[in-house]
Amino acid sequence: MTEQPQTLIELDHVTKRFTLPQGDVTVLQDISFKAVEGEFITIVGPSGAGKSTLLRLMNGLLHPNEGKVLYQGKQMRGINYETAMVFQNFGLLPWLTVSQNIELGLEARTKDPVLRSERVRMYTTKVGLEGYEEAYPRELSGGMKQRVGLARALAIEPSLLLMDEPFSSLDVLTSINLRNELLDIWSDRDNVVNTMIMVTHNIEEAIELSDRIIVLSNRPGRIVGDIRIDLPRPRKKRDKGFIEYVDRVFSLLA
Amino acid sequence: MNSPEGPKGSQTNTLPEIGISQILGLVELLISKGGRDDIYKLAAELSMELGETLTVIKAAELLGLVHTPGGDVVVEGPGLKIIDASIPERKELIRCKLETLPVFKSVRDYLKETVDHEVTREEVLEKLAELIPNEDAESSFSTLVNWGRYAELFGYNDDSQTFYLDSGETTE
Repeated sequence: MTEQPQTLIELDHVTKRFTLPQGDVTVLQDISFKAVEGEFITIVGPSGAGKSTLLRLMNGLLHPNEGKVLYQGKQMRGINYETAMVFQNFGLLPWLTVSQNIELGLEARTKDPVLRSERVRMYTTKVGLEGYEEAYPRELSGGMKQRVGLARALAIEPSLLLMDEPFSSLDVLTSINLRNELLDIWSDRDNVVNTMIMVTHNIEEAIELSDRIIVLSNRPGRIVGDIRIDLPRPRKKRDKGFIEYVDRVFSLLA
Repeated sequence: MNSPEGPKGSQTNTLPEIGISQILGLVELLISKGGRDDIYKLAAELSMELGETLTVIKAAELLGLVHTPGGDVVVEGPGLKIIDASIPERKELIRCKLETLPVFKSVRDYLKETVDHEVTREEVLEKLAELIPNEDAESSFSTLVNWGRYAELFGYNDDSQTFYLDSGETTE
C-alpha cells in the first residue's frame, strides 16, 4: 500500500452548547481531531462527557456553535448521508421483520426495489442473519437484534460507520462474539466501509478494538488524550502491553 | 462421544434458552485463554451467576463445541474450528450437530414427511411434549426456532405460526 490515507472527517475547534431553561450548558469544548480512511477510532469518557453529541455532530443531526466539521474536506451543513449509525438499543421497529428493518435505511436512498432487496440479502448474509429474514425483533436474542442494527447500517454502504455504545446492552459473552465479528467486518477490505468511530465507556473494549482512542473529560467534554494503540490484533486483556494502555487511559479519566 | 444416559434421556432433550451469539462468545473467550478454563473462575471473571454460566456451557456442550471434565470447560471438536471459520462454515458446523439432536431431527423429519413440508406451531409443541415429557415445551420452543433458523435447518413464520423447510433445501 503506497497510497496515503485521506482524511475523511475533521473536527476543527468544535464547541457545542445546549440551551436549557436554567441557561446554556457547554457539552463539548474546543474539540479538534481528524479521522483518516480505514481508521477505527473509539471515543471514551465518563457519562455526560458529550460522547453521543460528538457522534451526532459527525452525522449532521447536530451542528456546532463554534468551529466546524469537515467531511472529505467540505464543511458539513446538513445531514451527512455518507454516515450510518448503530445504536445501543438497536433502534429496530418491532412491527417489521428482520429484512424490512434492514431495508429501512435504504428506502430513502434508492428507489430501485431490486437493488434494495439485493443489498438486504447481501448484508443479511454478511452478518450471519440468513435464516432469520422473516423473524420479528421480539423473537430475537440481543445479539441477533444488534446484527440487524449492524446490517441496516452496512446496507447503506456508508463511508463512515458511527456506533453509539453498540455492545453495552448485550450480555458479556454476546458482546465478545459481536466485537470479534465487527473486527472481521472492519478488516475485510472488500467492504465499502472501513472507517469506524465508536463511542464506549468500556476502556478494555476500546483498547481491544481500536487504532486510536480519544479520551474526553467530564462536562464540558474536552479532549484530554489521543492515544494510538500500537498492539497487534487479536489483543489479549492479560498481556502486559494491554494492561499498560488500560492504566494510561484510566489515569486520564481519573 | 457421550454415551446416552437412559434415565436422563428427556433431560438432555431440553433446550436451554441461550442464543447462538452467546455460545460463540463463550467459545471465543475460552480459545483466547488457551482452550480451557475452570468453570467457577470463569463465572467469577464474567461476573455471571454460576447457574447462568452453567446454562451457557450446557448449550455449548449440546452443540458439541465444549466438554466439561471435572470442574473445567474445554473447547473440543468443531469448537476448535468454529472461531476461524467463515459465517457460512459456522452455520454448517452447527447444522451438522443439530441434525443429530433428537428434537431438531424429529421436527425436520416431520417437515419432510408432510405433503407441503409445512407444520404448525401446535404440532411442533406436541412433538416437543413427547420428547421432553417432564418440561414445559414452550421453554424449549424459542431455542428450537432460533438455532434452527441460524443453521438454516428450517424456517418459521410467526405470522402464520408455521414451520417450513428452508429454501434452497432439497428434500430427500
